[in-house]
Amino acid sequence: MIVAGCDVGALTAKAVVLKDDAILGSEVIQSRASAGQSAVDVMDKLLKRLELTHSDIDYCVGTGYGRYIVPFADANVSEISCHGRGAHWLVPTIRTIIDVGGQDFKAIRVNDKGSVEDFSMNDKCAAGTGRSLEIMARSLGVDISQLGPLSLEASNPVALSKPCCVMTEIEIRHLVFEGKSNADIAAGISDLTARSIVFLVRTVGIEKDIGMTGGVAKHAGIVKSLERLLETTFVQFPVDPQIIGAIGAAVFAADKTRKLRRLV
Amino acid sequence: MIYAGCDLGMISAKVAILQNSDILAFEVLRYQSHPKQAAVDVMDKALAKVGLSREQINRCLSTGFGKDAVSYADGTVPPLVCVHRAIRKLNPNIRTVMDVGGHSFRAFNIDDSGKVAELAVTDTCAVGTGMFLDIIANALEAPVEELSRAALSSDNPIPISNTCVIFAESEVISSVNAGRDRLDIFAGVASAVAAKIVGHLARIDLIEEVAMIGGVAKNSIVVRDLEEKWGLRLANLGVDPQVIGALGAALIAKDETESASQ
Repeated sequence: MIVAGCDVGALTAKAVVLKDDAILGSEVIQSRASAGQSAVDVMDKLLKRLELTHSDIDYCVGTGYGRYIVPFADANVSEISCHGRGAHWLVPTIRTIIDVGGQDFKAIRVNDKGSVEDFSMNDKCAAGTGRSLEIMARSLGVDISQLGPLSLEASNPVALSKPCCVMTEIEIRHLVFEGKSNADIAAGISDLTARSIVFLVRTVGIEKDIGMTGGVAKHAGIVKSLERLLETTFVQFPVDPQIIGAIGAAVFAADKTRKLRRLV
Repeated sequence: MIYAGCDLGMISAKVAILQNSDILAFEVLRYQSHPKQAAVDVMDKALAKVGLSREQINRCLSTGFGKDAVSYADGTVPPLVCVHRAIRKLNPNIRTVMDVGGHSFRAFNIDDSGKVAELAVTDTCAVGTGMFLDIIANALEAPVEELSRAALSSDNPIPISNTCVIFAESEVISSVNAGRDRLDIFAGVASAVAAKIVGHLARIDLIEEVAMIGGVAKNSIVVRDLEEKWGLRLANLGVDPQVIGALGAALIAKDETESASQ
């Protein structure tokens, strides 16, 4: 049984292929202008690498904000369910998932089966999202991928006062001007972002184990700030945290295939 | 005696120069990333206009977001104090002031004795500020002043669904890609800013006369919406609404000098 999951997000598109409940391969690309094209590109790239074709895939589930327009998907499932399911499939003891993506973030609580019990989502304000980090990194003159490593080198993190990255952009420029180090400012950015995220996480209630998914989970500085604020240590996923939504979609695809086979 | 005030904001630096109680010059300068230099440049420009040099200024005070970065100032004053001082001089009948600048919204009431009564400040989110208009204008690749003027004739403003500036920027880019008219897009965004200002204003009392100051008071669509759609009557202060803070700082420099000499 070969199944696939395709997660089309605002900034990146992710694809995962599972074979008999093991990960065969995964792929991440930057999103294209059209969500449908992003889905096609990421899946084609992965299938080519795995030397497979669409006809080898028994079932495919689409997820992410572009899930309705994944042209080759047999069904679509919300990214909230997929992140919950994917994280639980990887680490069955997980109960709370913090998913921080490009344009929104969510706190998801799952039960012992990996089904969503409660969730909370921020998609009104960019504070705490990957997009906001991108803007703040740009005003510091570093790449977003450098923010994490830089934060960890900080000796005296700055305190940023406003949640909005538009406001913070100017605050950062002033701090650079005052001669604060990039590391101290990067750590301030991590703390600011973590504070925005924690606010939401508390509204769904925190149950252990806790894990972080989405692109921002790769940012070591924010992970450290969040762990400190929540007084916990996050579970480590054995895969890139950015592909967990796509894994969840593929696990749903596997469920569906089993169900269909029983019906035949 | 020559007095000066410098109001260093997030988007622009503003200067007012007084000779005793008379206004000699105003100057506004938009800047990109060097507030300290902008403060120097705007003052030099204003002084050059009236043929004065910096040594001839008896006292200069700074205010605004970057007040500590004004190297030549003799002291600093909080923005609210400056705005209040200038408004009292320009029109003592003003009872409600809304100051919509690049990075903040501030509104307050002045009671009959001339003191600040109710006060509302919003400076944590860019919604309803000049920065919102600036970022959208940037996405539309045209100066904000030009768009504001041209978009006044739009009869089909496109409503914007996102509240957050960052998300609104993406929405605007999608609209441009979908072939929508830039002026219709900008008109929709400016109307959203006006609506947000009305929302902020609900936190204080709306008592006439009402004055609107700050850079956004120069945006013709926002002002039109506030007057026609939301029924506000805005008083004419007779000076550029963007330099009120700088004028107040200069007036306080004068007050301080006069009271010290007595």
